[in-house]
Amino acid sequence: MRKGKKALALLMAATMTMGLGACGSKENEGDKSTPTPADSGNQGDSTEKKDVTLTVWGPSEDQNAEQGNWLPTMCEKFNEAHPEWNITFKYGVCPEGDAGAMVSQDPTASADVYMFANDQIMTLINANAITKLGGETADYVKSTNSEAIVNSVSVDGSVYGVPFTTNTWFMYYNKSIFSEDDVKNLDTMVSKGKVAFPLSDSWYFASFYVANGCTLFEDGFNEAAGIDFAGDKAVAVTNYLIDLVANPNFINDADGAGMAGLRDGSIGAIFSGSWNFNSVKEALGDNFGAVELPSITINGEAKQMKAFAGSKAIAVNPNCKDPQVAVALAKYLGSPEAQQSHYTSRSVVPCNTELLAQDSVKNDALVIAQNNTFDNTSIIQPFVSAMNVYWDAAVNMANGIINGDVTHDNAAEMTDSMNAAMNNNGL
Amino acid sequence: MKKQATTSYKAKKRTVNILVHVLLAVLAVIWVFPIAWVVMISFRSEKGSYTSSFLPKSFTLDNYKKLFTDTTILNFPKMFMNTLIIAIIVCIISTLFVLAVSYCMSRLRFKMRKKYMNIAMILGLFPGFMSMIAVYYILKAVGLSEGSMIRVALIMVYSAGSGLGFYIAKGFFDTIPKALDEAAFLDGATKFQVFTKVTIPLSKPIIVYTVLTSFLGPWLDFIFAKVICRANADYYTVAIGLWRMLEKEYIDNWYTCFAAGAVCISIPIAILFIYMQRYYVEGLTGAVKG
Repeated sequence: MRKGKKALALLMAATMTMGLGACGSKENEGDKSTPTPADSGNQGDSTEKKDVTLTVWGPSEDQNAEQGNWLPTMCEKFNEAHPEWNITFKYGVCPEGDAGAMVSQDPTASADVYMFANDQIMTLINANAITKLGGETADYVKSTNSEAIVNSVSVDGSVYGVPFTTNTWFMYYNKSIFSEDDVKNLDTMVSKGKVAFPLSDSWYFASFYVANGCTLFEDGFNEAAGIDFAGDKAVAVTNYLIDLVANPNFINDADGAGMAGLRDGSIGAIFSGSWNFNSVKEALGDNFGAVELPSITINGEAKQMKAFAGSKAIAVNPNCKDPQVAVALAKYLGSPEAQQSHYTSRSVVPCNTELLAQDSVKNDALVIAQNNTFDNTSIIQPFVSAMNVYWDAAVNMANGIINGDVTHDNAAEMTDSMNAAMNNNGL
Repeated sequence: MKKQATTSYKAKKRTVNILVHVLLAVLAVIWVFPIAWVVMISFRSEKGSYTSSFLPKSFTLDNYKKLFTDTTILNFPKMFMNTLIIAIIVCIISTLFVLAVSYCMSRLRFKMRKKYMNIAMILGLFPGFMSMIAVYYILKAVGLSEGSMIRVALIMVYSAGSGLGFYIAKGFFDTIPKALDEAAFLDGATKFQVFTKVTIPLSKPIIVYTVLTSFLGPWLDFIFAKVICRANADYYTVAIGLWRMLEKEYIDNWYTCFAAGAVCISIPIAILFIYMQRYYVEGLTGAVKG
């Protein structure tokens, strides 16, 4: 018994020493990332430099040497541009779409400046993980972006992030299969060649209903209005989708089927976003085409499909120690210079209005497709809390249409129950 | 008459055997096929997550090459090493824990023994991830949620509660005759000596089992690694890495590498099992002689 205790004590002591050892190595790591002070006296005499440590989170592609090392490069440039601060940067990997979950898990131990997709904005606000931007920075956001983009990062009139790109999906097509006239209407397209559409993904699903006048929270911001996917206008879309799915030229793009079909030439068009640009370009070569969404014909009338659109932006954590520096960095990372560099290194489509007016940017097929979609064929993806109910209800409906549970006979009934599910607040 | 009876019996037995074997073969194919398919995908040279043909059209080693050399976005070798280090240490610590607790529960008699076993049973019924956020905040309070301390944190999380899983090993220890212990005590052995010199050598199969399960826990865990590592990509484990490969930005480029990664993570488990396997056979043979 007594010996057993001794052994336990020994084990605990061993564990603790291990802990200490690891502690030591952490300090060394900290030293390594500290940049050596650049000025050796001349400049630093007049004003004293303030030492600041900032943690910055962004996706790993932005911290990748082969893709231009955008984030560290920009941060270092920012440091150089501000001699009054001596900033030590710490980087973390957090894709924009994960920011909501990762930062709100523990805002006090998260990045001071991070990138997020705008649909996470309510999660971040509720977790007190995002700062309202005021004054100069808010004015900058408002003056250099289109109104839709400003709205996408604003809640109740306050700006919460510095947007740096738009986030939506559009159509890629094979020019040898579809002509420029064909791609204006989805029904023309499915009569000529195969089209893959990710119908069972609720991010894409709503585009058909929105085309025929269905709305989500009116303009997307009025939570009390609820989702209106009911009535004749919605039933007409359900009936349209039942016919569309029955068309042998329509393929539900699940598990990458569309991309594979585009590669081997069996599919002429897919719906995706800028993240697949390089793969599509490689697959199609000279036949590459990218364009805003087509329209659909419902009851003889052409109706424009509308994608969910949002933006990606840079946020500042209210728990950070030097908010002044953090806000300045956020503004810098959303500046035209940073957006230009992001576009050159990784084809991240800029959203700064001045930059978009430049010829080199203006004539890029990807930029045209993404921005035309954003401007003409999209609605801002609602980020009010009640939106959370939408996603599962939409997937259920889409699957019902694809596997034949929803028929022309029960379309009205099923559409009604979808609408009820989408407006179910869980109580 | 008699002969005919035997043949019909033989024939019957044969048909039953054939049926059983056909059934087993079908089940084996169903069971093995997904694994074979993943291995095949890992050698597929066509890109993308979906192909129109079921079998790959051509094969290549590039997926493995990319997995281990293209480390700028997803550093798989590093994740592999992180996980391996954590899993080995956890494996050692929790095997010790489990065996020690089992021995105590099986051989020692003390006041709270029965109650303790009930408490452990009930605690064990709760899923571990129920407490993940609490665990995260505790680790943060102790200062283990940053930098290289994350490894220590993960090791603690995986090994700390392992003592609760003593039931199977305790059941095994119960089957070792007490007479052996008593004989050793008569020869002047202490309890610790009995444990190391008598019980352990007789319990190889259960030790193998304990080692394997305590290695697999941290090797395959996703939830705790995700909650504790957060944005510290340097400390990601393979489970997080493989999950990242299937996100929409990466899936088209990384899908075949994902399959290659899945094949790679099965290698250490296979090696460990093949090495440990021989002890399964030995077990109790030659233990109790007259």
